[in-house]
Amino acid sequence: MAKYVVKRVLMALLTILLVACITFFLMHAIPGNPWLSDKSPSPEVIAALNAKHGLDKPLHIQLGIYLKNLLHLDMGTSIKMQKNYPVINIIKEMFPVSAKIGIIALLWAVAVGVPLGCIAAYNRGKPVDSVLRIVCTVGISMPSFVTATLLLFTLCGGLAQVFPTMFDGSWQSYVLPCFSLGFYPMCYISRQSRAAMLDAINQEYIKTARAKGLKTNKIIFKHALRNALIPVITYLGPQVAFTLSGGFVVEKVFNIPGLGRYFVQAIPNRDYPVIMGTTIFLATFIVLMNLVVDLLYKLVDPRINLAKGGK
Amino acid sequence: MADKYKHMGSLQINDEYIMGLGDADFAPADKEEKANFIAERKSISYWADAWRRLRKNTVAMVAAAVLILIFLFAFVGPVIVPYSYDEFNAGAENLHPWHYSLEDQARLAEATQALDPDEAVEQARAEAEKAGKKLTPIEEAKIRAKAKASGQITDEEGNVLSGDELNAYMIKKLGIKAKLGGYSNKELERMANGEKVFPHLFGTDRNGRDLMVRTMVGTRVSMIVGVFAALLVLIIGAVYGSISGYCGGKVDAVMQRIVEVIYSIPEVLVILLISMVMNETLKGFVNENRGNVLAELVNLLGSNLIGMFIAFGLLYWVTMSRIIRGQIIQLKEQEYVTAARALGASGGRIIKRHLLPNCMGQIVVTTCLQIPSAIFLESFLSFLGVGVSAPLASLGSMASDALGGLYTYPYRLFFPAIILSVMILSFNLFGDGLRDALDPRLKK
Repeated sequence: MAKYVVKRVLMALLTILLVACITFFLMHAIPGNPWLSDKSPSPEVIAALNAKHGLDKPLHIQLGIYLKNLLHLDMGTSIKMQKNYPVINIIKEMFPVSAKIGIIALLWAVAVGVPLGCIAAYNRGKPVDSVLRIVCTVGISMPSFVTATLLLFTLCGGLAQVFPTMFDGSWQSYVLPCFSLGFYPMCYISRQSRAAMLDAINQEYIKTARAKGLKTNKIIFKHALRNALIPVITYLGPQVAFTLSGGFVVEKVFNIPGLGRYFVQAIPNRDYPVIMGTTIFLATFIVLMNLVVDLLYKLVDPRINLAKGGK
Repeated sequence: MADKYKHMGSLQINDEYIMGLGDADFAPADKEEKANFIAERKSISYWADAWRRLRKNTVAMVAAAVLILIFLFAFVGPVIVPYSYDEFNAGAENLHPWHYSLEDQARLAEATQALDPDEAVEQARAEAEKAGKKLTPIEEAKIRAKAKASGQITDEEGNVLSGDELNAYMIKKLGIKAKLGGYSNKELERMANGEKVFPHLFGTDRNGRDLMVRTMVGTRVSMIVGVFAALLVLIIGAVYGSISGYCGGKVDAVMQRIVEVIYSIPEVLVILLISMVMNETLKGFVNENRGNVLAELVNLLGSNLIGMFIAFGLLYWVTMSRIIRGQIIQLKEQEYVTAARALGASGGRIIKRHLLPNCMGQIVVTTCLQIPSAIFLESFLSFLGVGVSAPLASLGSMASDALGGLYTYPYRLFFPAIILSVMILSFNLFGDGLRDALDPRLKK
């Protein structure tokens, strides 16, 4: 186990480093520079600005300096969007908003998706199952921006005014973003847990439990559900990444001042330190989440021996 | 003659039957009799069998029909509609998908002209009488004062109306009915002169571009991106996965470590960056090399689309390669591979001729299910403004454009959003059907 953990942590660090390098070179490969959209400055001004921000050195040296600073958690300062403001402060201010929405979205997706999947599996072939299957298939075919914009139109003034149009931090303004962000994962999780539950119900140990005369509720919750949850956990890791990227869209639709929206705006603005900082931060977050989920997976199901290369 | 068997359903032959057999029963069979013995049934190939199963799957067939309709809409539609996706139709800005005839518009204009105070009172009185009520002098005075003060029109409850509210109120009051299809006034006049004008069925945007054509072109972009990105993923994944699976050992170990690293990269972050970089770089390339064949080709396809393909191809082949590797590892232990190797076939030939054709079912299914995810990603990027760039339309960028006027022109969002969702849904359902048909073991 210890060997496995060490291997996974090293792998995660390698991935983060790789993402940092890819981002760095890609970002500098975009033609143009951060100063162009200001009132087209003269070459001398550009050269002076580049020198001031250390952009005149060769790329690999710039990368080296950046990585060294990163070890001290120094991500530089924004050079365009919020001039001279430390990137780490931007992240500190904006990430909590994104994280709050993401966490609530995932929580409701799991809390609703798993029971729905179980209900569908238990009533296999009955109308309940068919209705749930239709809802979930439609749900995983709707990009989050479609769900989000349709909700915005129907419930924020188009047909009815139930929720505020502008995001103001009140609990009402969190409802729609969280709902639309969690809808796709909810449908996906419910499909997954239906399949897993069906698989579990047909196992021998369920027959044994039934033969022992256990009550249906106990069989479902204690024996079947526990085993059915394992595939759902594996799915949660990638889902964190998905929720984050879905967050870009939802933050744009609902005008939420989150980190995702800021990241998307930073790319066309060529605000190098902001792009680097947010990418590395988000990537680290996703990689860590995957790591946690993988280790959790091992804890939940002792039969899985990851050190020997999977199940 | 006695029955052949002892009793119904028994396999024991009746003694009396055997005793009763004559010489004729032992004569050699003639040609005709022999022919009757050979079952007249063709052996069914894997694909014919799959096709038979797929045809029985109603959901998958309906999904296929919907896909064909969307395909026609996207590829034949722009040929029929006389507008182009980047054409500004002067005078036809911000049209709704419906219109009012010229006479109705004249009536509306007359009605919404401010009334003078006496007329306003007259009208209010007439209305009140119709409703069986009578206006009190105080109410009359109120209406007169209001009309005098602003020259505005009031409804039954005395609220002052203006702008859109007034129009909506008058349209209801005059009983004017909207007619299908958007026409600008200029186009209505041309129609009155006997010309034939194609309606803007989905309305137009603020530059007067026909939204139906833009939706068609956007659907086309999504379909092209989906299919080609899936093919790209298929090629890279198949080559990488089969080499890794066939070689095994150290080669496989190294190749799988690479896959693991790419797999754990948060792809959306990197894809956002890659498509941005590729788009800008290719644009620069086209501008610098005017006349060059390659540059013209890039220009023709659109630098943004190519950028998206590259981004997709670089990161999304991983899943495909894993699936194919798994299949190849299973298959390479089979006897026919050993036989081929014993006959001196090279590795490449074994992979090409023996291994890949045998995991064709898996490959087709995975490719087909890759299409909706590519469409998903394309619309996502375009919605964030990183995908296709203006004036080219994509369903995602159209939905993004519609956000601004969402409450006034909601259908600008509805049309692309619905087509996008239906398209992804159909691809998903068809892919599921294909999986059930090609690999019945996988059926859940």
